[in-house]
Amino acid sequence: MIEKGKISSFQMALIMYPTIEATALLTVPGITGTYAERDMWISPILGSINGFFTVFILYQLHKLYPKETIIQYSEHIVGRVLGKILGFIYLFFLLHIGSIILREYSTFVSVSFLQTTPPSVIIGGMVLVCAFAVRGGIEVLGRTANLFVPILFLLPIIAAILLLKDFDPKHMLPIMEHGMMPSVMGAAAPQAWFGETFLITMILPFLSDRDKGMKWSLILVVTIMVNFVITNLLAVFLFGGTASGYTFPLFTAIRYITISTFFEHLESVTIAIWITGIFIKISMFYYALVIGTSQWLKLSDYRPIVFPFGFLLTVLGCQWVAPNFEELNHFLVTIYPFYGSLLMTLIPALFLLIAVIRKKKRKKNFVKNM
Amino acid sequence: MVVLLILYEWPKMGQHQKKEKTAFVTITAMGWLLAILLLFFPDLQGPTQMIEQLFKPLGKMLEKN
Repeated sequence: MIEKGKISSFQMALIMYPTIEATALLTVPGITGTYAERDMWISPILGSINGFFTVFILYQLHKLYPKETIIQYSEHIVGRVLGKILGFIYLFFLLHIGSIILREYSTFVSVSFLQTTPPSVIIGGMVLVCAFAVRGGIEVLGRTANLFVPILFLLPIIAAILLLKDFDPKHMLPIMEHGMMPSVMGAAAPQAWFGETFLITMILPFLSDRDKGMKWSLILVVTIMVNFVITNLLAVFLFGGTASGYTFPLFTAIRYITISTFFEHLESVTIAIWITGIFIKISMFYYALVIGTSQWLKLSDYRPIVFPFGFLLTVLGCQWVAPNFEELNHFLVTIYPFYGSLLMTLIPALFLLIAVIRKKKRKKNFVKNM
Repeated sequence: MVVLLILYEWPKMGQHQKKEKTAFVTITAMGWLLAILLLFFPDLQGPTQMIEQLFKPLGKMLEKN
């Protein structure tokens, strides 16, 4: 096996939490808001169904092939050639999404803080740090998550407490004014983010306590859902139906915090905390990409290809992935829900179906031969 | 950049790790070529546009009119 480190399933949940939440805190309330308006707190609950589904499928696949990731068992399930092609598609997907995340990160940082810094410096610095984390392996990722995530976890809750006096719960009413449809439409984006639980397939083989993997993955999905609901409720209470007017609603909300003119400009603290989250998110995608590639090519060690991929990610993230943020956002709103859930949920579901049918067939043949 | 990268990583790879060396060179070359291409043609169609073309019919469902 390539990776020698082991982490506990609790650490896996800690890694996966920012992997989903970090960019979701940024853009998802805005995207959901365009469709669902003041019902947008219902959408994450609907979206989490996809999260449970994905976790269930990947865990079942993991049970069938306990020591392998999706890149490896795709070959066993659909055959060598098709498996290699699918593996390549997955690697391309990870590279693409990784560079999209880098782009989101650099846009957000340059809009809110470093207005004159070129994006290549922002992205390059982040990729360098992530590359060292990835070289360290899964254990390093697990420990950084242990260190950073508890703070990140409290972020929406602290924001909610500090904003308490500006809340107007009446903005929430009337609930479901236009029926269920707007919140279902709004769930399209969160469900794609919940689909990112797909990445547990890269961690599950390295767990030290496998039997708890399912339990912690489910707890993970529930916590993320609760956090989403809190974030979206916060946006609704503050802005009502107009939350979609902001690209980054939560951070706009945090800018409003003023407590007796003493607590002001909390966004700098918030962004500092948030960057630790995005660091884990980028590292996780990066790690999945590197591990996946070395398994795809059957390398004996994944370390040599970490830095080349970092370079590639930097180049992609700086320019190639999208000409401007408007276009990227349009992509995330309309295309990503299908693109993401096709690769992260539907294809694994198909894999599971094929694997189960094959297994039954084999059993039948076995019984016949007896 | 590329030179630095190679200088850092090359001595660490053992003599027998031929496959790793090939992968390393290929990926670095990909990144390097892409960087040079983008330097000269900044408006090159990226992967995002490609995926967008593929999924356009489905994306229309979510388009806000």
